[in-house]
Amino acid sequence: MSAIQDWQGRRRRGAMTESQQGLVQSADWKRPSVRWGLGGTQTALLVLLVIVGLGPILWLAKAAVTPTQDTLSNPMAIFPHGADWSNISGAWNEVDIGLYIWNTVVIAFGSWLCQIVVATTGAFALSVLAPKWGRVITAALLTTLFVPSVVLLVPLYLEVVHPPVIHHSFINSYWAVWLPAGASAFNVIIMKRFFDNLPREIFEAARIDGAGPFRLFVSIVLPMSKPILGVVSIFAVLASWKDFLWPLLVLSDPSKQPVSVRLPTIAGQTDLGVFLAAMLIACLVPIVGFLIFQRSFLRGTGLSGALKG
Amino acid sequence: MAAICFDGVSKIYGDGTCAVDSLDLDINEGEFMVFVGPSGCGKTTALRMVAGLEEISGGRVVIGEREVNDVSPKDRDIAMVFQNYALYPHMTVAANLAFGLKLQKHSKAEIERRVQDAAVALDLEDYLQRKPKALSGGQRQRVALGRAIVREPAAFLMDEPLSNLDAALRVQTRGEILKLQKRLGTTTIYVTHDQVEAMTMGDRIAVMRKGVLQQIGTPQELYTRPANTFVATFIGSPAMNMVPAGAIGIERDALLAGFRPEHIRVGVAGDGVFGFEAVVELVEYLGDERLAHVRLDERLLTAKLPADQQLETGATIAFTVPGQAVLLFDAETGLAVDAAS
Repeated sequence: MSAIQDWQGRRRRGAMTESQQGLVQSADWKRPSVRWGLGGTQTALLVLLVIVGLGPILWLAKAAVTPTQDTLSNPMAIFPHGADWSNISGAWNEVDIGLYIWNTVVIAFGSWLCQIVVATTGAFALSVLAPKWGRVITAALLTTLFVPSVVLLVPLYLEVVHPPVIHHSFINSYWAVWLPAGASAFNVIIMKRFFDNLPREIFEAARIDGAGPFRLFVSIVLPMSKPILGVVSIFAVLASWKDFLWPLLVLSDPSKQPVSVRLPTIAGQTDLGVFLAAMLIACLVPIVGFLIFQRSFLRGTGLSGALKG
Repeated sequence: MAAICFDGVSKIYGDGTCAVDSLDLDINEGEFMVFVGPSGCGKTTALRMVAGLEEISGGRVVIGEREVNDVSPKDRDIAMVFQNYALYPHMTVAANLAFGLKLQKHSKAEIERRVQDAAVALDLEDYLQRKPKALSGGQRQRVALGRAIVREPAAFLMDEPLSNLDAALRVQTRGEILKLQKRLGTTTIYVTHDQVEAMTMGDRIAVMRKGVLQQIGTPQELYTRPANTFVATFIGSPAMNMVPAGAIGIERDALLAGFRPEHIRVGVAGDGVFGFEAVVELVEYLGDERLAHVRLDERLLTAKLPADQQLETGATIAFTVPGQAVLLFDAETGLAVDAAS
């Protein structure tokens, strides 16, 4: 009994604290005009957001297991003639969606790795090692952000076809996607901004403890940078997962293409139900990935305790 | 342990600011040296030059027999305790303590022994597996101290390590640091702006102002024989009273007379005793004594009087100062001249 009372007390205290932290105080909520007006608006907004955000995915999920004829004749009807689970197996076996998802994973992983390596080492050099011309280099990096990516397509393509020093074309190789992805000034700059705000005393303590630049990078800076690594990773993986134009240009071999390139290519020659099932499978992978890793992505800075606040 | 020598050490920043100006100072092996002075006096910069965290613009820093101007921090055999703890937030207390030892390639058994010894010495045994965020301010500062002592370095460098602790914890930790330093016998440079900390901890104290060393000596020397008016008024709380010599009956031109609040008594001047009349503005009762703030001409003086001394606010009272307690300073240069008696 006392445990229940204790729990209820905590719940009430928690609720009061939350409402006091918002813009509208708990006292305001007691007024009928606020309760009905604001409460109604909030509910309507929530419903609207769910419909807009979740609606297409739910429709896709429905359509993926609906016979093609039903989807074409009455797209919004919910299973008028029952479900057709063979679409899923069709997507897996006929479209070979598993291969393209695997290709996408490989491309995304390689792009992510290249971007993380370049961003962290570049930012570490500019922010922590702080070379004499660091500011000039940072300014030069910043200016590249103003160049539209479409302008770079042709020079980048030529670079991939005739890379300097190596003189071996990267066309139809994943390196053609990975290496250009790594050259992201945006990642270096946001990573540098984060490193700039890490406490210098900790670096100095590590240097006195005997850490050289490499040890400082690996043992101190990287573990303290999990939040920004998460942010850059999300950007990197999402950009790579969605990228269409560049993989289409450099990966002409269908067996190496990612989902984003392959699905539009096969759209015209595949049964709609099977195609929608393939799309659903392609969508589920990043959604499940986000749900698994969201805690680490959204976690706080993790610096508490390092310094006197 | 090792002696540390500043030989004409200067630090001039790119914009021309001189943070430390030709500092000459010898710190003996095992000595507890305190750098004290107001904010911006160059004490932390001097410490950081010993640590290798600031480049030296001129002069030499010698640790033991070795000039270390161009030696990297990790090779100077020093350990530093930072004002803000500077603990590694992603490591446990044990890992924080062991980090430096691992980099020095000590054996696992040796690392464990040293970490355990430090944990026992600093009462951190129960917290070894915790991360810094799960510790109180005092515990974090003890971890920072532990990280320094496990290294068994030639010198400890401490940059205002107590300034983030509350008053009670500061007094307690002050004692712990002193005991630890005496037990280990490691040469220590301790930077603080708190003159009480400096007086209670230092074997010797170096007082700095605007990058210039003002005086170096034992706490007693600084208190009883300050080299100039800055040291005289900086060391001691409440500060030394400073008035024109003529105001207390010393007939010497262009001199200032300095005397400590505890040397002032109520009474009339006589043989070997100087006197002045002042208006009582405020009396503070502190239990074991009274602090009287009195006005002599335009200057506000402080007198530390016995607790049973009754004074009426607004009254004009005659005070005395023993001649041997009065110090004279050149009014222009501020340098000590000689005793007044």
